[in-house]
Amino acid sequence: MKPVRLARSASLRLTLAIAGLILLAALLAMAVQYRTASQALERQEAQILQSDIDSFAELYDQRRIPALRAAIADRAAQTAQGQALYLLQNREGQTLAGNIDDWPEGLPAMAGGVSDAAPRVFTHAQGVEYNGVARVLPGGFPLLVARANTLTADTLTEMRGTIAWMALVLVAMAALTGGFVSRLVLRRIDAVNALADRVAEGDLAARLPGERSPDEFGALETHVHDMLDRIQNLNAATNRLSDAIAHELRTPLNRIQQKLDKLEGQPELVQELHGELKATVRIFDALLDISGALAEQGQRPGLVPLDLGQVVGEVFDLYDPLAEDSGLSCRCEVAEGLRILGDRSLLAQLISNLLDNAIKFCNPGDTITLSLRNAGGRHVLEIADTGPGVPDEIRSDLFERFTRAERDRDRPGHGLGLALVRAIAARHGAKIDLPRREKGFAITIAFPVLEG
Amino acid sequence: MTLEADTLEHPEEAQATDKPRRILIVEDDKAAARAMAEAVEDLGCEPIVMRSFDDGVTAAGLADFAVVIFDRMLPGGDGVDAIARIRAGGSTALILVVSALGRAANKIEGLEKGADDYLAKPFDPEELRARLRALLRRAEMTVLDNDLIAFGELEIRMKARTVHVKNDHVPVSPKEFELITYFAQNAGQVVTRMQLLEHVWNLHFDPQTNVVDVHVGRLRRKLETAAGRAVIHTARGEGYVFDPTRGDA
Repeated sequence: MKPVRLARSASLRLTLAIAGLILLAALLAMAVQYRTASQALERQEAQILQSDIDSFAELYDQRRIPALRAAIADRAAQTAQGQALYLLQNREGQTLAGNIDDWPEGLPAMAGGVSDAAPRVFTHAQGVEYNGVARVLPGGFPLLVARANTLTADTLTEMRGTIAWMALVLVAMAALTGGFVSRLVLRRIDAVNALADRVAEGDLAARLPGERSPDEFGALETHVHDMLDRIQNLNAATNRLSDAIAHELRTPLNRIQQKLDKLEGQPELVQELHGELKATVRIFDALLDISGALAEQGQRPGLVPLDLGQVVGEVFDLYDPLAEDSGLSCRCEVAEGLRILGDRSLLAQLISNLLDNAIKFCNPGDTITLSLRNAGGRHVLEIADTGPGVPDEIRSDLFERFTRAERDRDRPGHGLGLALVRAIAARHGAKIDLPRREKGFAITIAFPVLEG
Repeated sequence: MTLEADTLEHPEEAQATDKPRRILIVEDDKAAARAMAEAVEDLGCEPIVMRSFDDGVTAAGLADFAVVIFDRMLPGGDGVDAIARIRAGGSTALILVVSALGRAANKIEGLEKGADDYLAKPFDPEELRARLRALLRRAEMTVLDNDLIAFGELEIRMKARTVHVKNDHVPVSPKEFELITYFAQNAGQVVTRMQLLEHVWNLHFDPQTNVVDVHVGRLRRKLETAAGRAVIHTARGEGYVFDPTRGDA
């Protein structure tokens, strides 16, 4: 199994989701804050305008136009350019005082909408925005007081900038935290995943190195270790049991064998019984070999680098004369230098079983072909013959123990040969296939290549 | 140096001149121990039987044994683990492990851990005798790098890897040459099919068919044609006897 990529990690997604929610909440809070601030500023401005115009109106009430003109001129002089507008006109529209010459364009003149009840936003010289109120003083004197929005706008812009920066920082922090947390989690999870992979491949003795930490990962690792210990113990117990069975049954068989030798007068019967004993032991051995190979499946210990072609050649040479004597023609096509990690004895047994079967089931005149080549990134061993092939009804469970075709009942054998072949192939991580042929039986076993 | 078959010392004859060689049997099963003791006596040697791992290891260090037969799964330990301790005790005895752990993998493990031979239970007494004979012979024949091994008119040249009968070259395949070499080393004695499979083909499992017979048959025919009489004889039961000096079939 491949290690989980960071981008697809569940912990990253979870952290990012939580961080996103927090970020959203923070942004919402800041938006509310922003809105409150901008409203407060607006209210404050309106109040200032109101009190300005109120005080001017009061001055007019008390001391009439000359005093008002003086006060407005005074105020206009004190005010920095572009900060505030003051304008007092007479009934005819002539400017009496102020820092602008005429009623601003676009602002409806007096009787229009501008009143102190509804401040109006308008643009005046150089595009500066003003917020203004107007009032017609008794006697028909329109008075305009406006304050530039610049300050408010600047404050709000600054606030927006701060909010944007904060949001950026929060996003960055969320990404960093998410990455960090998931990397941390992934590392621990990956270690457990890698361990599980090794176990699945057959290395029951695999364990995580180092101490277990006192957190939930440590607890998970401890559980996995406990589980593996139990599996390993069970496995060892099973192996001990098979060995014990083999031992306990072989000892009485051995006594029978020794006593057979004492029998006199029926040498043929004794010979037959010897043969039966040998066959019984062969079944034992095959069953033990099958379970042994399956138990060690995927385990590297016990496998050594070897030239598969050499083993194939050796076993072929052992069987070739037998095939020839049985009237079969036998060919061996082996590519050179195909190396695998293997157990020579088991491999020899695998090839021997397959050749044995081929020779057993073929009729004189048939051909047996043994080939080894590299194909599709694997070293593929193929044994094919032109014999009677395999009946379809047993094809699917051909590799199960004790599977035999009905028509072969009178032939010697116990139906363990192919079960052992499959177990040995599995021990080597090899894939078995039964390609269909027009005539005869073919089996391919694809071994993993030994690199280098 | 030329080794003449006529001067070969047979273990059976050894006891007549010398005191019998001793073979230590470490086996907890009485029936098996008795069968082993009988096989040892058949070979003219003196059996000494021990019933536990520790007694076996101790005994191996106390006397000069030609061969030690060690069971596995004994009270007190695994006979395969005894090999190193017996060797460490200074014994030069050849060690034959006889065990119910009889799979090829068990045999290879035993041989890799230093056993000189490994026999699976249940064993045929004839097979045990053949194994013991081969070991006894190995113990006494230290030099085998003679270039020429001659049995009367049959000559085997080790370096050239050729076989001659009456000075005529007998063409043999490489495997057949290894076969005849192994036979020659055990001339006059029963050699079993399993022994041939193990020593000539280095295979430790029992094939379903007697593939070895075909190879021996071919070699036998070649030698018989050249010599004009049987050279390899079929032994009762399990094996063959290579004896160029014996005339019958």
